[in-house]
Amino acid sequence: MADRRVLVPLSESVTVRQTVSYAVQTALADDVDPAEVQIHLVVAVPYEADLPEGQDKIEFATSLLERAAAWVREDAGSHSHSLTIETEIVGDQEYLFGPRDYAKAFAAYADEHDLECVILDPEYQPGATAPMLQPLERELDRVGLRYDEAPVERSARHERLVGPGSRSRLFAMFLISYGFYLTLGDPTYTFDLVTGAAVAGIVAVTLSHVTFTTAPTLVGSPLRVVRFTLYIPYLIWEIIRANLAISLVILRPSMPIDPKLTRVNARVRSGLPLLALANSITLTPGTLTVRANNQQLIVHSLTQVARDDLFEGSLERAVRFVFYGREAAATATPKERGDAEVIGGEEL
Amino acid sequence: MIETIRFWAIVVLVVLGLFFTFVSAVGVLRLPDVYARSHTASQTDTLGAGMALAAVALALGWQNATIYTVLLLFFVFITNPTAAHAIARSAAETGIEPWTPEEDGNTGQSQTEGENR
Repeated sequence: MADRRVLVPLSESVTVRQTVSYAVQTALADDVDPAEVQIHLVVAVPYEADLPEGQDKIEFATSLLERAAAWVREDAGSHSHSLTIETEIVGDQEYLFGPRDYAKAFAAYADEHDLECVILDPEYQPGATAPMLQPLERELDRVGLRYDEAPVERSARHERLVGPGSRSRLFAMFLISYGFYLTLGDPTYTFDLVTGAAVAGIVAVTLSHVTFTTAPTLVGSPLRVVRFTLYIPYLIWEIIRANLAISLVILRPSMPIDPKLTRVNARVRSGLPLLALANSITLTPGTLTVRANNQQLIVHSLTQVARDDLFEGSLERAVRFVFYGREAAATATPKERGDAEVIGGEEL
Repeated sequence: MIETIRFWAIVVLVVLGLFFTFVSAVGVLRLPDVYARSHTASQTDTLGAGMALAAVALALGWQNATIYTVLLLFFVFITNPTAAHAIARSAAETGIEPWTPEEDGNTGQSQTEGENR
């Protein structure tokens, strides 16, 4: 006997639509009287409503609930008039913190409305915290509320083993780990060749979707590797230059330092390019990345010379060359486009 | 002839590596605050360890262990800025404001002298 009265906690996830649709399907299964079916859509808000950020969350939750209610009516089709849809924001009167608080809030709601089962979205993630599903299921077990995990197809984060792009990831990961294994081992020794292939196979299967955020391409990725190897001598040269300059400053008895915080808006994509740029900036003594929020870097610079170098953006151009090619490297310096400024310490 | 050049290249690299490590130690002692010290702490890893590892690679000659040395250097170059950034970031999260010479005028000068002593 399927559940007629279900509770569906919602969050903005890639699978929320499918979860709602699964909830409607199970509740309406086996030709039941649609009048008995109750679908309660709830959004848990982790902040108290009177805080300003809480207000945002409430508005956000309301819009999500409206959309979800429309989905339910859409999925229910001809039954949509007879079944009951309730929408509710829970947790706006209290401070929901961990999975236990969420489970308690859901249990209280389910008790109040006499609901039988919770349909969980596998990607359920209220607030901005870590994945919630497993701890939440454990806590729901503790409070004795039945739950059912919606079978959804996830496309974005959990790709299926074989899909578009996953084959090239698998292959690239295999090559990289096999190459690394043979570099450490002996490429002429059969035992190493066999064990290396086994290890690389395991690594490729288990880690390929973690390693690459975008699938590697046949031409682009090797090209980037080649450009990266061109970048390394340049980076080492920059490091030596900066090292000498900073060494002179430190060894001068008067120590003419002029430390300042600067903000530089980098023209590189978040992820690996930004990591490469921030790492290179930190590697050169005299500049130190304190924060990296998307394209905005907060850089602490020790001397005026180091700061000028940073504002000239030579490293940024080099990183752009590595990831986007030669044409992209010819860009205005951060100073020219007004993306560089000195800021006070209170803006950290 | 080549052996002599190699020998002296190794000596020069080791001495330079020691020099940069020494400068880095001096910098950690002399510079005023956590951010400024992070700058110079990275010198030990980049050029200090870099030169020393280059000397090791030269001394070992062409063999497997040389590749390990190069790989070691590669990983140092990845981990060092990560650690420096982590320290600076946690300092920023804790709310430590960077030391600036203008802000506290004369006191800044005396602070520097205090570090000199």
